Amino acid sequence: MYHLLKGFREYMTRKEEFSIVIIGMDGAGKTTLLENIKTTYNPVPGLPPNKITPTVGQNTGRITLPSTILQFIDLGGQSGIRTIWDRYYDGADALAYVVDASDIDRLNECWEVFDNVLASPKILGIPLLLLANKQDDPTSLSVEQIRSSYEEWWQNRLNTLQRSSGSSDQSSRSASLDVMGISALHGNGVRDAVNWLFLRVQNSRARYVIDFAHFLSVSRNI
Amino acid sequence: MGLSVSTLFNSLTSLVRWGKEKDVRILMLGLDSAGKTTILYRLQIGEVIATVPTIGFNAETVQYKNLKFQAWDLGGQDKIRSYWRCYFENTSAIIYVIDSADHNRLTLSRTELLTMLSEEELRGVPLLVYCNKQDLEGALKPEEISDKLGLAGGEKDRPWSVRGCSAIKGEGLEDGMDWLANAIQNKSS
Repeated sequence: MYHLLKGFREYMTRKEEFSIVIIGMDGAGKTTLLENIKTTYNPVPGLPPNKITPTVGQNTGRITLPSTILQFIDLGGQSGIRTIWDRYYDGADALAYVVDASDIDRLNECWEVFDNVLASPKILGIPLLLLANKQDDPTSLSVEQIRSSYEEWWQNRLNTLQRSSGSSDQSSRSASLDVMGISALHGNGVRDAVNWLFLRVQNSRARYVIDFAHFLSVSRNI
Repeated sequence: MGLSVSTLFNSLTSLVRWGKEKDVRILMLGLDSAGKTTILYRLQIGEVIATVPTIGFNAETVQYKNLKFQAWDLGGQDKIRSYWRCYFENTSAIIYVIDSADHNRLTLSRTELLTMLSEEELRGVPLLVYCNKQDLEGALKPEEISDKLGLAGGEKDRPWSVRGCSAIKGEGLEDGMDWLANAIQNKSS
């Protein structure tokens, strides 16, 4: 009887789990963001920012929301270890790309790295959130400026490449892509970002079901 | 019915144990002469002691900031590595120590590590890799060792971190322990 009730309770309280991968260049604040998410949503606080050192490896964090568990994986961003990122795209339900909005000198490099991410065919169907971090720093670019900086970079690239192939093709993206500003250090905007991701992972799976239903109805007509 | 009572009893006792002090067991593993024992005593008493190759194990209670844990430093010689698995149960974290200057045996060290991580009992357990002996000339950087270990992508369930340290100089150990303490606490919540 106990097992029956226990099983029933587990069935009723079962939560769907989604995996979100956090990437970006070194020093962008990926681990600080992850630890801030942990502190915001979990009873056990994450690592304080002054204890965070460059990541070689992966940090993980789980947060429980109503009906859903989000599992975050934060990967190291130093130039030599960025090659590991694409090994994580397969299992990912969403991607967060963190940008250091105060590091204007490296913005070009940042967009090159970002473009490489976008060029991976595996992520065309995965929601992607671009986070302009360090909004607490007065010298940081705003969300609008980050957006136009990327567009400018993209135009330049198109002009130099004269629309040759090898670069990402935005038209074939089927999943959401958006830009938001955060301060991982103080937590501003972090809840909004998590909500964005939460909604998109739910929807992407729901849309998948609808697509499948559509596929069934089409195939029945044939 | 008897089963249900015992299940209930088990969950109650685990609750009681939770309220008291939590038993955190950390295994310190790695090939022989990687520096496991030196790291253990560096963490415990803050000094470098003269060590001899460990046959069997050193078990010490280490108080590191607010985390108190049982550290088991198991001998790393090839004949006794097969006994490591006897200690895997109830392990909260693994510290794997690598001699960064020992280029020849890095592949062997990797094989031992991957074999160990594939054990069911260690699933999801946080892993800290100390790339020790960074003070030596020719020591590989943590990034290079991380690349050679090839953990990326295959170990999505567990947090893992590869860090450089020098047990002799006492450098890099604290950062790693802070990271590990945080990983353990977040895992058990």
